[in-house]
Amino acid sequence: MEQHPLQPKVKKHHHHIMPTKTALMIGGTLLFLTFVTVWVAGIDFGAWNFPIAMLVATVKASLVALFFMNLYYDSKENGVIFITSILFLAIFLTFTATDLFFRGDVYVKGSLAMAAPAGKSKFTKPWVSTPELIAHGKTIFLAQCTGCHGNEGKGDGAAAAALNPHPRNFTQQEGWKNGRKPSQIFKTLKEGIAGSAMASYATLPADDRWGLVHFVDSLGGPNAGDTNEDLVKVGVDPNKTESAEAPEEKTIPVEVAMKRMVEDGGYSEAKAGEESNVAPGNPELENYDKRLGRSFTPHL
Amino acid sequence: MSDVHTAVAGEHTRHHAHHFESAEAEFDACKQGMWIFLVTEVLMIGGLFVGYTLFRGMNHDAFHEAHKMLNVKLGATNTVVLITSSVTMLLGVTSAQRGQRSKSMKYLIMTFLLACCFLVVKYFEYSAKFHHGLLPGGNFTNEELTNPRSSLFFSFYFLMTGVHAFHVVVGMGLMAWLMKRTANKDFGPDYYTPVELVGFYWHFVDLVWIYLFPLLYLVG
Amino acid sequence: MTSGHTTAVAAHGDNYLNHSKGIKSWLFTLDHKRIGVMYLFTVLSFFLLGGIFALLIRLELWGPGRNIMDAGTYNKFFTYHGAIMVFLVVIPLIPAAMGNFFIPMMLGAKDVAFPRLNLASYYIFVIGAVFALCALFFRGADTGWTFYTPYSIRTSTTVILVVGGAFIAGFSSILTGLNMIVTIHKLRAPGLSWTRLPLFVWAIYATSIIQVLATPVLAITLVLLICERLFQIGIFDPKLGGDAVLFQHFFWFYSHPAVYIMILPAMGIISEVMPVFSRKPIFGYKAIAYASFGIALIAFIVWGHHMFVSGQSELANFVFSLLTMFVAIPTGVKVFSWVATMYKGSIRFNVPMLYALGFLELFTIGGLTGVFLGTLAIDVHLTATYFIVAHFHYVMVGGTMMAFLAGLHYWFPKMSGRMYPEKQAVWAFICIIIGFNLTFFPQFILGAEGMPRRYWAYLPEFTNLNRLSTIGSWFLAVGFGWTAVYLWKSMFKGPKASANPWEGNTLEWQTPSPPPFENFTETPIVTMWPYEYRASKNYPMTTPVQGSGKGVQ
Repeated sequence: MEQHPLQPKVKKHHHHIMPTKTALMIGGTLLFLTFVTVWVAGIDFGAWNFPIAMLVATVKASLVALFFMNLYYDSKENGVIFITSILFLAIFLTFTATDLFFRGDVYVKGSLAMAAPAGKSKFTKPWVSTPELIAHGKTIFLAQCTGCHGNEGKGDGAAAAALNPHPRNFTQQEGWKNGRKPSQIFKTLKEGIAGSAMASYATLPADDRWGLVHFVDSLGGPNAGDTNEDLVKVGVDPNKTESAEAPEEKTIPVEVAMKRMVEDGGYSEAKAGEESNVAPGNPELENYDKRLGRSFTPHL
Repeated sequence: MSDVHTAVAGEHTRHHAHHFESAEAEFDACKQGMWIFLVTEVLMIGGLFVGYTLFRGMNHDAFHEAHKMLNVKLGATNTVVLITSSVTMLLGVTSAQRGQRSKSMKYLIMTFLLACCFLVVKYFEYSAKFHHGLLPGGNFTNEELTNPRSSLFFSFYFLMTGVHAFHVVVGMGLMAWLMKRTANKDFGPDYYTPVELVGFYWHFVDLVWIYLFPLLYLVG
Repeated sequence: MTSGHTTAVAAHGDNYLNHSKGIKSWLFTLDHKRIGVMYLFTVLSFFLLGGIFALLIRLELWGPGRNIMDAGTYNKFFTYHGAIMVFLVVIPLIPAAMGNFFIPMMLGAKDVAFPRLNLASYYIFVIGAVFALCALFFRGADTGWTFYTPYSIRTSTTVILVVGGAFIAGFSSILTGLNMIVTIHKLRAPGLSWTRLPLFVWAIYATSIIQVLATPVLAITLVLLICERLFQIGIFDPKLGGDAVLFQHFFWFYSHPAVYIMILPAMGIISEVMPVFSRKPIFGYKAIAYASFGIALIAFIVWGHHMFVSGQSELANFVFSLLTMFVAIPTGVKVFSWVATMYKGSIRFNVPMLYALGFLELFTIGGLTGVFLGTLAIDVHLTATYFIVAHFHYVMVGGTMMAFLAGLHYWFPKMSGRMYPEKQAVWAFICIIIGFNLTFFPQFILGAEGMPRRYWAYLPEFTNLNRLSTIGSWFLAVGFGWTAVYLWKSMFKGPKASANPWEGNTLEWQTPSPPPFENFTETPIVTMWPYEYRASKNYPMTTPVQGSGKGVQ
């Protein structure tokens, strides 16, 4: 009986059997291309090295797929199936790259200031003005502040005209929003002034901020000076010698956050006897892992 | 679609599974199944390639520095070995298709030996890396490479070549099976589906290495 | 049923159930129908297990603080509920159980292309499941079904067993997909051209493509995670220079398409049930078929919408949010086509149709809330709240489970050769619908008000809504349990079913119930598309056509 007229046509095709000569020729070409790619890799084309190597590899791979794996002689269906896989791999790579290669634009909440390496603070008691601190502050002032506040701190920088309210003129005694005591200037630097262009400069290390405070202070007349309470208010312990403050939560780049997680050790697993790192502050959950008698180290 | 139809439909006399209409249809289906399987392989191994490309992009200097620790000569030798084995496999398949059984057997044995050769070279490469502390991630102890991200290069090196070597081992098992069946005179011009499909698999293993070699050894 | 006793041919003849006897004849069977049935029972027993975990979770959430378990146990339970339901229930439920049974029959084939591979994938599935469930006897897993790094690298629970189980079960999914694609390509009956394929076949075809393309990526991801735990390879570990968010990319490149592995076959069932019970040709046959492919394709380019607050770049957020909106187009095409199919039809409100209508309602709610979540700005507010939980349960349970129940009742006569009790089924349906909405609708409100998901405790102001939800879960349990009981009973004692109780056109109805060993006594010759329903008469796909030899459409 013949095939039923309605049956989908099964293509009757002869299996292609590759002649030995062709097989050897293609094999030879592949070996030659291997030689080429090793040779080319020895030459420095800079950024082009990678594409060139991939191009040669793709030519080789195509030869293998087309002739060794018979795609050249086969029905189109199988070729399409194979190409699809590469297409979807390309989708995977491209879309993941839109994240990984463009991470610079992401921020999270966290503390920006890296923990000051022990013993590296240049100044003891930086809240007490010294000529060195003022000089240090000046260099930072010239780098960070002159755009608005002007070279002499008169509030006449290049951007000043466009700003409302105008930038502070540091040589004037009156009208300071937060007051003129060093601790009060420090507060402004730390938090910024809402409703104005004055942003928070908490991203600067505390030493630098104290330097700025004393420099700005030196531009105007004398002021009342700080009491210990004033210092405590801005997070300074007057009895200590270093400027360490409690880290504050800020909006910071993800990259920095990841680095901090690793370097500050908040991320490392708890070992026996160490504090639990599970949900600190929640009495229900505190030391939960310890109570279960387990530590946060990997197991099977 | 009873057995009577089948006998008339094709010149093949070989028995085929009852739910196919002819041996030809069965061969076509098996071949397509193999291609779809290779698609899954592309996407599985491809995941590692994607990871490698991304990390290489993000840590270019570390990867470039680290790739110089690989031995290009051994890598190139293995490339030659694998391509040659692909050719011998192909000749094994064509001999089987032409019904030259002993020739086919000979080529299969050659392919098998070349695969062994590949693994031996790989063994020497691996032991050199172990010796120098060039190990993945947390096990990295090499002091020559200063960039802390260098260890990631070796994570990918061992994962990619390891997955590939696993496929080589599986391929060798399949070839041993083919040899046994060839010795049993199972294959002839009418029926050689397993030989051809294992051939596809073996060429695919070669194809992956064709990309691995320049990526890891040459451009880093 | 109306024609219940008229053509009980199967009762006397040989069928796949009595063809061979003994437990071995089932365990080593190569018959796609038996393998389908084995999948069905295996998957449903996992559904029972996952359901028990769900009930316990809901019970713990009865009041704000501790109720019946501590936080660690709770974390393990929701992980088990999620992992079992996703990997062991919803993914294989329709493609592996229903697909195995009905795809070859709808194609007029004797079996799938690779029967031995088919049996192998069943056992691979079982091994994977056993592997994952072994973890229950060790320290469990508390990562959630998503296994996010770096927590999954560091937790002391037995993550590797669960991950390994998902890895193994993944191969079952891949091989089933491969088998289906080749079967659909190569084993169609004479006359069965692509445009005459039933839409369930189209849906399973699109599903299989996703399974084949996406699941391997899950495999490599899970291998990487296992290596991370065993060898500290550092790829996902920031401590070693890796990238924890990259894991999410790898994971969701599979798991977003996997969501469509779950819903596409469900849509296929609805496309079968709608025309049969509306007694009208399906509206927009080609549109529905191509929409399946549209969904399959888009599945691969939207995964980043699971990661809007993971710290991925804003460019990626923008791109993925934009692309996500495109999902609504093919999905909308399908929903409107089903509604248009019912329009002016002579609808028969049998239980399959009731479930199909339930699907339409619940899936639409689930789908539309998905649009909220795909919108970047709103998602930032709703991420990781109960809104998400409600959304995907509306899609997974309201969508997939409803469609599965529609299919189960629709095909039950074919599979078992017996009818289910219509009245009981209607009451169970009502119970399930009420229970479902009671369980999950309050969760939309809870989420919008800010209750985070996966928390063991909650603020007292959320108590009432949580209690409603817990009560709903009991209704659901009763509904499902009741369904299981009456189906089990009628499997043995129900009235005998005719070959074609619903007067369907597709090929599986053109053979006795239950089907004979090789499906058809004679290879069917297809002359028609599957949806030629007229108010007074329907034309099965094998209707003999005089003259030209060409069918309608």
